[in-house]
Amino acid sequence: MSARVSARVRRVVVVVAWASVGALVCTVVAGCGPLSQTHHNPGNSHEVSTGRPSARPNAEITIAGGKVSPPSGWLEVTKGRPVSITVTSDVADEVHVHGYDLKAELRPGEPVTLRFTADLTGVFQVETHRSKLVLTQVAVR
Amino acid sequence: MTGATGTAGVLAHGIGGRSDLPIPLFYAYAGAFAALVVSFLALGLLWADSRFHGDRAGRVLPLRPPARPSRVLTLLAVAYTLGWVVAGPADGNAGPYLVYVLFWVGLVPASLLFGPVWRVLNPFRLLPDRPRAPLPPRLGYWPAAVGLLAFTWMELVAPEPAAPATLLVFCGLYGTAQLAGTLVYGHAWLSRGDPFEVYSTLIGHLSPLGRRPDGKPVLRNPFDGLDALEPAPGLVATVCVLLGGTGYDGFSSSPAWLNVLQSGSLGKAGLGTLGLLGAIAGVAVLYGACLGLAGLIGGTRGLAPRFAHSLVPIAIGYLIAHYFSLLVIEGQRAIILSLGLDASVDQNVVSPATIATVQVLAIVIGHVVGVVAAHDRSVRLLRPDRAVAGQIPLFVLMICYTIGGLTLLFA
Repeated sequence: MSARVSARVRRVVVVVAWASVGALVCTVVAGCGPLSQTHHNPGNSHEVSTGRPSARPNAEITIAGGKVSPPSGWLEVTKGRPVSITVTSDVADEVHVHGYDLKAELRPGEPVTLRFTADLTGVFQVETHRSKLVLTQVAVR
Repeated sequence: MTGATGTAGVLAHGIGGRSDLPIPLFYAYAGAFAALVVSFLALGLLWADSRFHGDRAGRVLPLRPPARPSRVLTLLAVAYTLGWVVAGPADGNAGPYLVYVLFWVGLVPASLLFGPVWRVLNPFRLLPDRPRAPLPPRLGYWPAAVGLLAFTWMELVAPEPAAPATLLVFCGLYGTAQLAGTLVYGHAWLSRGDPFEVYSTLIGHLSPLGRRPDGKPVLRNPFDGLDALEPAPGLVATVCVLLGGTGYDGFSSSPAWLNVLQSGSLGKAGLGTLGLLGAIAGVAVLYGACLGLAGLIGGTRGLAPRFAHSLVPIAIGYLIAHYFSLLVIEGQRAIILSLGLDASVDQNVVSPATIATVQVLAIVIGHVVGVVAAHDRSVRLLRPDRAVAGQIPLFVLMICYTIGGLTLLFA
C-alpha cells in the first residue's frame, strides 16, 4: 500500500517538475519572438521595415557579380496595395515574380520596374531565371 | 534559354514559388502550450497497462480491392505523366505538378483515409512475384530511406527540381532499382524497398482502414494501427528522413538561409545538400540521445527501433503543415493543366488564417498522437516502477520536435 502511495507521490512530483520545465521552455520561446522579425527583414529598404502604413511597398535591388544587394529579404505588403520592384542587373537576365507570374527582361545596367497590385496572399519569390538568384520575397497578408 | 523549365531555382516544395506566411505569434504559443499541457497530463493520467493490440485489433472487412485493374490504371497514369514530362511544353507543363503535388503530396491524405493505398496501386506489383533469394532481414527499410532521401533531395535541393531532365533521371534510377529489387526478391522487396510504398504504408498505419500481414483489410482504431508497425532496421532512418526533410523544407526559403545559399562558396546544391543532411542528422541524433536516456532510466536496452512508430504521427503532422496549401492551390493547377481545362487557379481559395489553423492543428494533433503511442509502448516495455520517469526523455524529444515544427512555421 505504502509503495503505491509513494509511487503516486513520485508521479505528482515528476509532473510538477516537468510542468515547470515546460513553463520555462514557453518563456524561452516567447523571448525569441522579436528576433524572427529582424531575421525576416534584412533585405528591405528602410521605409518598408519601419512600416509607415501609408508607405508604398517598394524595393530597389541591384545584381552585380552574381551577388544581390541588398541581400535577399522580405518585402512586407498589405493585401490589395500596389507594389513596385526595381531591378538592375549587370548581365542580361529575366526576372520573375512567382505566383503573380510576372516576367521582365533585364538588360545589362538598365533598371526595370515591375508594378503589380498585391491581391494574392502568401510569400512569393522574386527570382532571376538565368542566374537563379532569389532577389526578395514578397509577403502579402 | 529559360525554355528548359517554366519554374526554376530554389523553390519551396520543388514547384511553384509560393510559400505560406508565418503563422501569427498567438497560434504558435497556443500550439506549444497545448502540446505541453497534453504531454504532462498524459504522463500523469494515462493508463498504467498497455491498451493497444496492434495487428490483433480491429474488425476484418469482407472487401477485396480490385488490385490488378487499379495497378493497370496507375501504369496508364504513369505513362501519361511521363508523356507530359518528355513531350510537354516548357511553360505550363503538367508533369512536375502531377509528380510533386498530386502524387507525392496527394499520397498523404489518400493514405491517411484509405490505408496503404500505394500497395494496391503500385504498378511494380504487376510483375510476377518469383523471388530468387529471400529478402535479407538486415536490409529492412534502408532502401526506402535512401529512396526517400533521394526524392527529398530532388524536390528541395536539386538545381532544377521541375526540369524534365531531373525528373527523368530520378524516374530512371527509381524504376531500375524497383525492377531489379522485384526480380531478385519478389514483392517482399516492394513493401520494404519502394520508397513510395513505404511512405504510403507508414502513413496508412494511422488510417482507420488497415491491412494485416496476411493481407486481410481491417477497420481498426488508428492507435492499434500505429502499434502494429513492426520495428525493423532502417525504420528510424526512414522516419528521420521524412521529419528532417520536411523540417529543411521549412527553413530552406527563409531569407537567412537563402542568403547563405546564394553567397556561399560551396554553391547552392552543395550547401543545400549539407543543410538537408544536417537537418536529418539533427533529428536522428536527438532521437538517439533521448531514447538512450529513456533506456537508462527505464532499465531496458535497445529501445530506439521500438519507438519509431511514435514519430510517424509527428512526421505526418509536419507533412500536412507544410503541404496543405500546396495541395489545395497547386493541386488545382495540376488538374487544370493535365486535363487541359479552361479554368484558372484560385490562389486565394484558403485564407492565411485557415492555413495557419490547419498547420498548428496538424502539428499539435501529431504530437498528441505520438505522445499517446509512446506512453502505451513505455508501460509495456519499461520496468513498471520506472515507466513514468522513463517516459520523460521521450516527451522532451517530442516537445523539441513540436516546438521546432511550430518555430519553423512561425519564423
